[in-house]
Amino acid sequence: MKFTTLNGLRAWLDRLAQEYDLIAPRDVDGHVLYRPVGSSGEILFDYERPELSAKDYLLPATETLLWVEKRGSEVILEEVLPDRRQVLFGLRPCDAHGFTVLDALFLAQDPPDLYYRHHRERTTLVGLACPQMWDGCFCTSMGGAPDDPTHLDVLLREVDGGYAVEPVTEKGMALLEGLALEERSQKPGFSEKTQFLRPVEVPPPERWRPLFENRLWMRHGERCLSCRICTYVCPTCRCFDVTDRVVEERAGVTRIERIRVWDACTSTNYRRVAGGHNPRPTKPERLRNRFYCKFCYYPEDFGPLGCVGCGRCIVSCPVDIDITEVMRDVAERSGG
Amino acid sequence: MSKLSAEIRHKARELLESGQVDCVIGYEASPRGGARPVFIYDPAEADRLIWDATCVHNLVTYLHDKKKPRKRGEEPPRVGVVVKPCDSRAVNVLLAEQQIERERVYVIGVACEGVQDETGEPAARCTRCADRLPVVYDVLLGEPPEVAPTEDDYADLARVEEMEPAGRLAFWLRQFDRCIRCYACRQVCPGCYCTTCMFERDDGLWVDIGIEVPQKHAFHLGRALHLAGRCMECDACERVCPMGLPLSLLNRRMVREVETLYGYRAGREVALSPLLFELGEEGSPI
Repeated sequence: MKFTTLNGLRAWLDRLAQEYDLIAPRDVDGHVLYRPVGSSGEILFDYERPELSAKDYLLPATETLLWVEKRGSEVILEEVLPDRRQVLFGLRPCDAHGFTVLDALFLAQDPPDLYYRHHRERTTLVGLACPQMWDGCFCTSMGGAPDDPTHLDVLLREVDGGYAVEPVTEKGMALLEGLALEERSQKPGFSEKTQFLRPVEVPPPERWRPLFENRLWMRHGERCLSCRICTYVCPTCRCFDVTDRVVEERAGVTRIERIRVWDACTSTNYRRVAGGHNPRPTKPERLRNRFYCKFCYYPEDFGPLGCVGCGRCIVSCPVDIDITEVMRDVAERSGG
Repeated sequence: MSKLSAEIRHKARELLESGQVDCVIGYEASPRGGARPVFIYDPAEADRLIWDATCVHNLVTYLHDKKKPRKRGEEPPRVGVVVKPCDSRAVNVLLAEQQIERERVYVIGVACEGVQDETGEPAARCTRCADRLPVVYDVLLGEPPEVAPTEDDYADLARVEEMEPAGRLAFWLRQFDRCIRCYACRQVCPGCYCTTCMFERDDGLWVDIGIEVPQKHAFHLGRALHLAGRCMECDACERVCPMGLPLSLLNRRMVREVETLYGYRAGREVALSPLLFELGEEGSPI
């Protein structure tokens, strides 16, 4: 295996920070979050699952789509395409998996989403394998693993005295130029103490369909608060809203910014249409939609399941709505 | 199982069997440990109900979901709800604001020795609780606890009030920067029930939908002001915040303001109308 010391890694990251926007896990007032860093000194190397996914860096919570300037009767449109080159360092494998799920919609469809594609093409993903699974984690049930290199450009694993470095893609290989590497004969792996959590059965779409009117949605959904935590912490929830805002108004000139902003199907007015009708007026209906989107609609429309098993929605739900409990309920009630 | 859990089950079963209520909102054991809210419709399911120090949620907020009939033409449901002393103040606030009908809500009050925060320590609000018994109830379950009543000296506010104004602003902007605008604080609040929140209007008249610091700043300060004289200090907003914003500091600052000016603390007693409806030239009659 290829090996580097922590000091070697730090020197490499410091150089990357000069050339790229470097995003890495950081302690932000006691919360571990993927945030921009100026140097390797700000980066956490020993951390659990960051509290938010990294989707903000490919699908920003708020993103400018275009500018409209009105000068008298003249209207000027200016498209703004992102051109930041960024490295996401210390990405957990589940978060990289999340990007592959988003790619199926934003890249593989015709036409692709230009904004997402611009971010994606300019981003390199350097993962750091999880030493274990944490509370809520079920990546192994969703086709992933704590040390899954599949969706990354480079995967690092902590080993005695440093890190094992595995280039996964050519992009990753290119990024590694300048990192002091040596060959070692040892093989990276998990320690005997590593706990792998109990896998959850993932019912296929056809087993969800007949349960659409089942009482279980009432059971899980009635205590839902209709907040947006689960969708905003999720690496694969990707709904957005678009709005225009006036940012400047002076003599004869109006400047308008068109932005897109995260939205959430769990929120009360998400599905409301012109005229005021809301086809999903109750909490159980909205919560059901979130799960059907992940396990029926998204895989049927775009291919991959809309869940990577990161477990963030489970640990952050204030009323303990647990996606794995829902999956178990569906598996039980649909037989098989 | 605690004696109080058994009493709650017994009462819930009785209310459902007699048809006095259609639903009892209480707590059940969560598969993830601790308690979570549960809605019981069938007397046979009353045994799911529990009571212990992890029953942190303010269930009064769910009464807003029960204001309308389930089917057009029917009466709205009658609901039993398990309330702690702090939660019970929310019942009074909603009664004063005419959000719930007294005869449609059966308040199952529990004597409370305090609940725990996530770390297993007594929750902050419990350390200053002067009630220990609900202020409104139809039945009171449990024995009045032997806890010395404490005086609320607002000591929690000192850490921000000691800051210089510029430092205080920087402190709050740092907090708002972490906010993800998930609205969990608003959704969990019994006092936040506007059909269309002014911070979520389609026309973005006051604040647009952007998830950026200025909008989050306006949202949190606006929410605190809208709750002035109405916040009953259940701290649910702070408890549910996924990013750990110390929201109780904003709300309790307003609580102290209202108490100092008008000697009024929301929900402590049944008010005929909300504080801010009552201000005349003479000041508040409350």
